[in-house]
Amino acid sequence: MATENADAQAAAEPAAPATSETAALTDTAPATRAPWGFIALGVLIVLILGAVTRFLEQHVPEWAAGTAFAEVAAAVEYPVYAIVLGLLGGLVITLTGLRDKVADGFRTEFFIKTGLVLLGASINLSVIARAAGPAIAQALIVVPTVFLFTWWLAGRLGLDEKLRALLSSAVSICGVSAAITAAGAVRARREQLAYTASLVILFALPSIFLLPWLADVLNLSTPVAGAWIGGNIDTTAAVAAAGALVGEEALQIAAVVKSTQNVLMGLVAVALTAYFTYRVERTPGSARPGLGTLWTRFPKFVLGFILASVVATIYLNQVGDAGADTIGVVNDLRTWFLILAFVSIGLEFRLTRLREAGWKPIAVFGGAAVFNLALALLLASLLFRGFEA
Amino acid sequence: MSSESPSGDAPATATPDPDEPRPRAFNEDWAAVVVGLALLALVLIGAIPEGVIP
Repeated sequence: MATENADAQAAAEPAAPATSETAALTDTAPATRAPWGFIALGVLIVLILGAVTRFLEQHVPEWAAGTAFAEVAAAVEYPVYAIVLGLLGGLVITLTGLRDKVADGFRTEFFIKTGLVLLGASINLSVIARAAGPAIAQALIVVPTVFLFTWWLAGRLGLDEKLRALLSSAVSICGVSAAITAAGAVRARREQLAYTASLVILFALPSIFLLPWLADVLNLSTPVAGAWIGGNIDTTAAVAAAGALVGEEALQIAAVVKSTQNVLMGLVAVALTAYFTYRVERTPGSARPGLGTLWTRFPKFVLGFILASVVATIYLNQVGDAGADTIGVVNDLRTWFLILAFVSIGLEFRLTRLREAGWKPIAVFGGAAVFNLALALLLASLLFRGFEA
Repeated sequence: MSSESPSGDAPATATPDPDEPRPRAFNEDWAAVVVGLALLALVLIGAIPEGVIP
């Protein structure tokens, strides 16, 4: 089977864990990183596609006004343009053989985290404070339950322990970032991380459109829809995209819920490091993972997200309604960074990795995603019922 | 694929310590905080006025 071949080949190569989402999704090992010129070209591609996205978002509704497409054009928002343009761009750079050279410029992680820090400025601190309780409760139930379900399912299908850890972390916490963290904790092979990352994107892309649609069909309130999206979609950029499609309030709740899950990444990393050190690899004399590991894995952007909310809340309390236009400028900047992140998601997607992985990891990921979907819907409905932003 | 212990892949000393600082991940995470907060500060002090961002 393809997975076995990939594993056998990878077993001969020492692990070289990727440390960023971009690195996890490319074939380029850190030691053979592309020259700066190509990285700059990659960033330029993202910026150009981002500018085209912004242009289409602003002008397509005008062009379609008075035609049969007017309603559709008005409903299509920037995440759709960004992801579709990213996928098309990805196809072009693959066909022209540029992909591996320019991929280091697709800084999804940086773009989405900067976007989320800026998003903090549009969320009143009281919303974060009130949403934190149910968000933490939801995360504390969803993360371990989905993690253990995925671990069990992957075990039933006979997957390697390290791949089980990667898939379980990716589905239960926050997609590619969690897979990277888990890969470091369990010393997974680079190939395992690469196809876990590809699986995350494969499932995240349809979720961006499916969940807002389902939220509408199920007539969920905006906070419940946001909490469901934040607790279910794996990768943070896709959470933001789906939340933005539902609306501003849903985006805010989704971001709070997702950020809470991100924080749990540190705890899972410590637990995985301990489990693999003492139970799987049984390395004698290994240092016990502790607070240092917890801090290393802590997603620092969450601090920026909260700080931005504190600053903006104080600012608005001082200047009153006059500050709304100023925060509007911050929101424009945030939209730009989110667009760049969504374009990068599309650019990073590659199908070849999944062919190498075989059907078992896909079956595990799919089964876990459905389980996560149902559990997160149940909890979001219970915990965010009656919530008002 | 087998599910046996992968302990034989490589000696522990041959692989990077997961607790070692990750310069690139560290930079990207903190860079987002610094850039995000810097942009917020620039907007609040009026250095990036309305209408500048397309």
